[in-house]
Amino acid sequence: MKYIECPTLGRRPYSEFAISGILEPEPSERPDMGAARWAFDRHSVPTVRTEWWYHTPSQLWFKVTRDTGNDRIAEVELAGLMAKENI
Amino acid sequence: MSLRLLKYAFIEDYAEPRYFNTPDEIKKSYDVVIIGAGGHGLACAYYLAKDHGITNVAVIEKDYIGGGNTGRNTTIVRSNYLTEEGVKFYDASVKLFKTLSEELDFNIFYSERGHFTLAHNDSTLRTARWRAEVNKHYGVDSEVVYPDDIAKACPELDLDCGGNHEVVGALYHAPGAVARHDAVAWGYAKRASEMGVEIFQHTRATGIEHNGNGVTAVITDRGRIETHSALSAVAGFTPTVLDMVGLSSPLEIFPLQACVTEPIKDWLDTIIVSGSLHLYVSQSSRGELVMGASLDPVEVHSRRSTFEFVSGLCDQMLDLFPFLGDIKVNRQWAGMADMTPDFAPIMGTTPIDGFYIDAGWGTWGFKATPISGKTMAATIAKQTDDHLITEFNLSRFDDFALVGEKGAAAVGH
Repeated sequence: MKYIECPTLGRRPYSEFAISGILEPEPSERPDMGAARWAFDRHSVPTVRTEWWYHTPSQLWFKVTRDTGNDRIAEVELAGLMAKENI
Repeated sequence: MSLRLLKYAFIEDYAEPRYFNTPDEIKKSYDVVIIGAGGHGLACAYYLAKDHGITNVAVIEKDYIGGGNTGRNTTIVRSNYLTEEGVKFYDASVKLFKTLSEELDFNIFYSERGHFTLAHNDSTLRTARWRAEVNKHYGVDSEVVYPDDIAKACPELDLDCGGNHEVVGALYHAPGAVARHDAVAWGYAKRASEMGVEIFQHTRATGIEHNGNGVTAVITDRGRIETHSALSAVAGFTPTVLDMVGLSSPLEIFPLQACVTEPIKDWLDTIIVSGSLHLYVSQSSRGELVMGASLDPVEVHSRRSTFEFVSGLCDQMLDLFPFLGDIKVNRQWAGMADMTPDFAPIMGTTPIDGFYIDAGWGTWGFKATPISGKTMAATIAKQTDDHLITEFNLSRFDDFALVGEKGAAAVGH
């Protein structure tokens, strides 16, 4: 079983998380891109990127920085309201 | 030991002929350069030479031939798709597969088994009926069958699935088959090579030169090759190759894993697929159970395999076939599946003249090997999309003209 070292929750199994896409600019922040480009353009080459990860049991959202070339996680950061309120 | 083999052991210069010859030097220029010597790339080279007389072709491969997704899939061939484009295309492929051993004079161990897509609930059965009607309309042998028929074809299957997911019916596709995947790549390589195609293994494409008039050269780690036509047939590495020409695509790369058990006595002579349980299984001619599941949940650009995959798959397998409890898993592996949002491939011409793409084969590429080779060869020879693949052009994502094949994917991805 693979685990994630989470600064908020401690050591949690991978299977407790759902991945919900890449942290990227909103369409309104990318006026250079048409709707089709924004909807469909991907750049799926090996890279280090930040993604939205959802921890199902605790209903918390995290920003996870991961290397897609070897699936190693570099950084896990609590996201959303909970992070702001520092709970 | 065969006498022939014994003879080779004693005569030094009488070696078994090679499947294909690789010249020592890469020529300065070729009419067509194919990047990727998997089944698709080699099939395209073969049909370029055979159907169109274009034999000044180089196929370059960064690894060894058929070592990518061609050698990593679970070898199922079928045509019971959901859309008109899909059914016609894959049916043409099944027809080519049926006679491929004769055509190549090379045994690809094509074996028609019948293909059951199990339905465990009413909504899946409804999709099965829909698919069966579409299939019949286009002349493909496909029908909905019920638990009695399934029990007759595969008495070992537990129709209650341990009481958790009772089987209520299935989509049955009689022409569903398996083939020896390496043999498909080797057969195409052998015959293409005989007609003059040159295959270079361990040769990596590092760049593609193009100007306003189109492609001018492919750069490799063994030098520059001048050409006006380049085909990318590299599955999970397609985004990297597209970077070389500055094109973008909706492809996302997810690992797709598979495994085989130790060889056991023949008992499974059909192909069993369950979308709800996320698994497909057939028995190879060596007796191994060849099993696969759905995609990994997270994008990864490597071919690592995981324990979670095997344990999850075996859990579901035991629901269907409880008697397999003592059978050991022998090997597991992963391939990099290039997924499109509509579960249809990306094929044909691109905005850059002379640059062609054959990608987006996700989890459904092996079954399309012959027809993709044939249609891509026609596309390259005529410099315009073959009529079977016009709907699969990369431009469909600019026009929001997606194909909608998701309902026919083998398992829910």
